[in-house]
Amino acid sequence: MSHTTDLPAWVALIVAFLLVLGSGLTLLGAIGLVRFQSFYERVHAPTLGTTWGAGAILIASIICFSVLQSRPVLHEVLITIFVVVTTPVTLMLLARAALYRDRTEGTPGVPQFEAAGEPGAERPGTSD
Amino acid sequence: MIWMIVLPFVGSAIAALLPTNARNAEAWLAGVVTLVTLILASASYPAVAAGDAIRSNIEWIPSLGLNLSLRMDGFAWLFATMISGIGFLVVLYARYYMSPEDPVPRFFSFFLAFMGAMLGVVLSGNLILLVVFWELTSVFSFLLIGYWHHNANARDGARMALTITGIGGLGLLAGVLLIGHIVGSYDLDRVLASGDLIRSHDLYVPAIVLILLGTLTKSAQFPFHFWLPNAMAAPTPVSAYLHSATMVKAGVFLMARLWPVLSGSTEWFWILGFCGMMSLALGAYFAIFQQDIKGLLAYSTISHLGLITLLLSLGSPLGAVAAIFHMVNHATFKASLFMAAGIIDHECGTRDIRRLSGLFRFMPITATLAMVASAAMAGVPLLNGFLSKEMFFAEAIETHAISVLDTAAPYVAVLASAFAVTYSIRFIHGVFFGPLPTDVPSVAPHEPPFLMRFPILLLVVACLLVGTIPALTIGPFLHTAVTSVLGARTPEYSLAIWHGFNLPLLMSIVALIAGVILYLLLKDYLSRCEEGPPFFRRLKGQRIFERFMVTVSWRWARFVDYRLGARRLQPQLRLLVTVAFVAALWPLYSRGFTPGRFTLTGADPVFAGVWVLGIVCALGAAYQAKFHRLAALILLSGAGLVTCITFVWLSAPDLAVTQLLVEIVTTVLILLGLRWLPKRVQDGPTIASAVPGARLRRFRDLAIAVSVGVGVTLIAYAVMTRTPPPTIADYFLEKAYSEGGGRNVVNVILVDFRAFDTFGEITVLAIVALTVFALLRRFRPAPDSVDSPEQQRIQTAFDEAQPDRETGETIIDYLMIPAVIMQWLFPVIIMFAAYLFFRGHDLPGGGFAAGIAMAAAFILQYMAAGTRWVEDRLRVLPVRWIGLGLLLAAFTGAGSWLFGYPFLTSHSRYVDLPLIGDMPLASAIFFDLGVFSLVVGATVLMLIALAHQSIRRHRVARTIAAADEETA
Repeated sequence: MSHTTDLPAWVALIVAFLLVLGSGLTLLGAIGLVRFQSFYERVHAPTLGTTWGAGAILIASIICFSVLQSRPVLHEVLITIFVVVTTPVTLMLLARAALYRDRTEGTPGVPQFEAAGEPGAERPGTSD
Repeated sequence: MIWMIVLPFVGSAIAALLPTNARNAEAWLAGVVTLVTLILASASYPAVAAGDAIRSNIEWIPSLGLNLSLRMDGFAWLFATMISGIGFLVVLYARYYMSPEDPVPRFFSFFLAFMGAMLGVVLSGNLILLVVFWELTSVFSFLLIGYWHHNANARDGARMALTITGIGGLGLLAGVLLIGHIVGSYDLDRVLASGDLIRSHDLYVPAIVLILLGTLTKSAQFPFHFWLPNAMAAPTPVSAYLHSATMVKAGVFLMARLWPVLSGSTEWFWILGFCGMMSLALGAYFAIFQQDIKGLLAYSTISHLGLITLLLSLGSPLGAVAAIFHMVNHATFKASLFMAAGIIDHECGTRDIRRLSGLFRFMPITATLAMVASAAMAGVPLLNGFLSKEMFFAEAIETHAISVLDTAAPYVAVLASAFAVTYSIRFIHGVFFGPLPTDVPSVAPHEPPFLMRFPILLLVVACLLVGTIPALTIGPFLHTAVTSVLGARTPEYSLAIWHGFNLPLLMSIVALIAGVILYLLLKDYLSRCEEGPPFFRRLKGQRIFERFMVTVSWRWARFVDYRLGARRLQPQLRLLVTVAFVAALWPLYSRGFTPGRFTLTGADPVFAGVWVLGIVCALGAAYQAKFHRLAALILLSGAGLVTCITFVWLSAPDLAVTQLLVEIVTTVLILLGLRWLPKRVQDGPTIASAVPGARLRRFRDLAIAVSVGVGVTLIAYAVMTRTPPPTIADYFLEKAYSEGGGRNVVNVILVDFRAFDTFGEITVLAIVALTVFALLRRFRPAPDSVDSPEQQRIQTAFDEAQPDRETGETIIDYLMIPAVIMQWLFPVIIMFAAYLFFRGHDLPGGGFAAGIAMAAAFILQYMAAGTRWVEDRLRVLPVRWIGLGLLLAAFTGAGSWLFGYPFLTSHSRYVDLPLIGDMPLASAIFFDLGVFSLVVGATVLMLIALAHQSIRRHRVARTIAAADEETA
């Protein structure tokens, strides 16, 4: 599987840069997940990994295999699309669940239910 | 000859399809079928009489020595004629007997099928085939006896008959297998030719015990006799047929058939002699005290069959002649008597002898016929019963083997004959003579239509003719039959009525006089006494049988269930794991166990790191499993992902794809199921300290778990540190493309080389899915998880409180955007599944992975929009998917038969499809499609079972709420 020697040096450099960028961002996101205190802060950290983290690695993959096979290899675009479509949904569900829980438990610092309002009416917090 | 067997079954199938009210058409059909069979039988007589058996052979499974071979010699001919002839008469009789309200097609359908099975028994030229037909007679007799299934007696009688004869049939099969083992062939001709070999073999005794178990149960011989009287709940035509000419005769038929091979030993004599004598005497004794006419006839049948059995036990050729002769005689007079009993029942509405009397005045012809028939039963001179009874007496006097049994034979014979005279007189005198009946349901009994009487007339005439001029009527036929059974050992016998004044005649006279005297003595007692004979009234075979059945099927079952089963999962798992541990330990201990040397060279640090992660995940899952199920589940899927990465790492992308999809689907399904598990018991530690054994038990479980885990690790380690021998894998790698037409070796193995295994596996999968469904259908969750989840309750309450909102609106709001995305993804995932499916034969993918992906699409829909919404719009019928998948796989496999290849041979070629391009198209792809369909069905079935849980809970909760409102 290892054809790295076939790769021209400049391409190898670009690919390596993108890989380091992507994995570095993902690592940062992971560290953030551990370091942040509240759930709402934590929600933000992994997005580094799902946006530019995954993106940079995918671009690296496109470049690397396009050069190796001398034709455009664009499968990774599909992965990008699916990651972009599904990740926000997941995070949104998580955030809403957390918000709901905090509200019912009356955790300080979280906007309360409106008196006659609806549970979960606070669209702004999680709208997209 | 094959038509004689096929025709009744065809007739049966046609009869089953006729409308319920087609009474006459049914009777015509059955009549024609039986008549044609009779004609076929008669037409083959000249060939049979010429001395040689007619044979016809159709290859079935020649490699196992199983052929559809039929063989008709004189004895089989005699029986075939009797079966079809009496069958015809019974059909005629049944036409008038059966009430228009009864479902007549069912009757004739079963009747014809039974006749076919019976003809199969007598015409089989192969012992295995004979056993098959034998079992068929048991099954159809069960259906016939239980014909009036609304009647509890009929059901019980039928079940008892089936149980007893079924056990016997099993014994017979085992015995026949033994015989086949001894002789080396199941062919009747060869078996009959190797009598000496069988008798001198070590397995002779087990073989005859097993075979006699079959024949004695079938012929209702002591101690298995009790099913016969209970089978009297059947319609009378059934009794007339089954208990005169067919069912019970099958037993004695087989004994006579194998008589030349098996008889002559002490064991044979003792078993048969004892059973026969007991049946003969006890049957006759019991018959005297029956109040039901049919009961009387049933016990009389037992007694007469006992006589035949006793004759066969003697091992003398003359005894066999008498036995065969008596089989025919008994069939004629007993069939006519049963029919007469049926007429009486039909006309008067009761069969109780105490209530019936003086019927001679209403039905003189029937009465006369019945009188002649019962005289034959009693053995009165000038009737056929007399002749065979004389032969029996003559044989009883002869000394065959010096023993108590042999000495007792003449006395028992005279006693039983006297009893026979008594019950015959009782039947006739009690029913037809005396004062006019006062206690009869029907007001004006009268003669039945001529055609209903006609069968009796014919049979009684036969009795008379055989009784007066035997040599001219039955003589030649009997001779053919006897010769075919006995061959060179055929003795000189004379069928004359008058043999001079000798001992047998004296015995007959004594029996007749004693019987009359006995009747005169017992007459008053009999008209008053309760059902059942004195001394034995409390000892009912039926009661014993039922108690036995209860013991076996209820007490023992419960005992085993109590001892080996467990209501809780933990003991079951403990048992399972311990047994597995011992089972693995034992061969390792006895064969020795040497693990290879441990080396660290060549270990990739990254790969090792991945594995460390996986190990941590697995351990964490185990640690959290008790109190944090969600965390445990997530950790578990982490371990699963590590497995996936391992597969990729070790270049098994196919497995990785499948593993990933399975991982996703199982995680989601378990997540959905988590909600139904009971909540954590908060005061856990106190329980542990309160129950003394609890801590100990936990340590024991820990020890079991650790030792099993270490054991599996060691085995895996030992396997992996060994250099593998050349395996079959190389063969598959080599042949996958050239013979299976696919480059994805795993897939080719699954759908081609090992397709039969796959077929079995998907069948198991289907069964598992159905089981899960069945279990969840009856699932009652723990009390604390019955209610809807808290959040759901609050939301619903909120929705109900707001006038402008409908129930469930909040959750829809909540899930709006995810739901849209999930619904958009539906076609995408289906596309993905199709992609996986079509590339499967050459690249990672295949039916299984595609099926899982497809199921994931459905799961997503259920999660996004809720069960009701999805099922309003999308009808998934998982059971049909499962069925379709199985059928498709089976048909694809069977398709290769059309081209003359073995099951599941696949054919492959490349097809050029527009747009998609060159596409490998093996016939295996249809098999794969079956796998796909089945996997989708199975997974979705489980999903639906889980999803409907929540709906059902709603419903239950609502009804409770409604009930509360009503009471309030």
